[in-house]
Amino acid sequence: MAIATRGTASNYLQRAPSPSGLAEVLDVILDKGIVIDAYVRVSVIGIEVLTIDARIVIASVDTYLRFAEAVNRLDLTQTEVAGLEELRSGGSKDKTEGAIEGAKEKLTPGDGDGSKKERSKS
Amino acid sequence: MLASDARAGPADGRAPSAATAVYLYGVVRAGSLDVISSDAVFDGRVALVEEKELVAITSRLPSDDVRVRRRDLRRHLDVLEEAFSRTTVLPCRFGTALPSTEDVRAFLTDRAGELATGLERLEGCVQLNLTVSYDEEELMREIVARDPEIASLREATRESGDAADAGHLRLGQLVAAAVDADRERDATAIAEELTSLEIDVAEGNAGAGAAFKGALLVRARELSRVESQLEALAQREHPRLRFELLGPLPPTAFAAAAVEA
Repeated sequence: MAIATRGTASNYLQRAPSPSGLAEVLDVILDKGIVIDAYVRVSVIGIEVLTIDARIVIASVDTYLRFAEAVNRLDLTQTEVAGLEELRSGGSKDKTEGAIEGAKEKLTPGDGDGSKKERSKS
Repeated sequence: MLASDARAGPADGRAPSAATAVYLYGVVRAGSLDVISSDAVFDGRVALVEEKELVAITSRLPSDDVRVRRRDLRRHLDVLEEAFSRTTVLPCRFGTALPSTEDVRAFLTDRAGELATGLERLEGCVQLNLTVSYDEEELMREIVARDPEIASLREATRESGDAADAGHLRLGQLVAAAVDADRERDATAIAEELTSLEIDVAEGNAGAGAAFKGALLVRARELSRVESQLEALAQREHPRLRFELLGPLPPTAFAAAAVEA
């Protein structure tokens, strides 16, 4: 992309030029952009579920139990935070795939036509 | 006329009509694009329709009742990104279609003024999508440390093996409420921080996992300033919050506001 001129050493800010997952793509294009009156409405079967407020999911017994579990498995004797190296190498990714991320996964439909694969557009 | 049939669309529950339609991706200034080579939504080729110093980026739809596939979402964005890599683009909402090319021309003519204004306002601007999410373990640790009730419930429930008992549920509820409160506070703080950086923000729905989710409109020439300020902010909030920045993207979240008077 012509405008993307960067080469700064970014340590704390994670960067990606373009969305790679479905949720990110939806974030960028769904319900965003100019609206034209009286346009033909393309059927968007299967998309509606994605726009459900994820907050609904968080107030469920399932989520409460996941939170309880997340708190229970904490090792409070461990005062040292995960090292920067671990965070950079994606170590924190697995760690956070607990209660918070769990709610989001429910909203991703599985009509899989392979568009989940990573893109390397630049 | 066919056009009026097509306009009725499938929403009223009738059998799908055989009418075709024209899908609309966005609008650019005439002369700013020769061709778009990305794949079109619902297959076919991307075509440019010029009228009144403006060009609509379009493609043909096989019918006015097409079912969206996952890859069509990606293709819509691919086309916008390709246009955006070369010029200023006013993105249309995903799923926008008109009955015919004539309707596209009429749209460009009828709204020429607004569209030109929108293009002018977005010229030289890029969108960055910022998501600020929690390091869950860090957040849990903090919540346990500052809330005695949660801390003692945690101790009590750790002993019991039954993961679905009332204690666990109560603990989970308290933690969920604490997470919500934190999220609200953090979202406000981040939004204020961004305002102080003089960035135009369209706030999105942060959803379950994030403290903040929003689109930022940034002048391309200020991109490095904004990036280093966000980097500093991310460093300050580390390790509790994680900052993820997506872009530069076409200004989808700002297009509707840009064409308004």
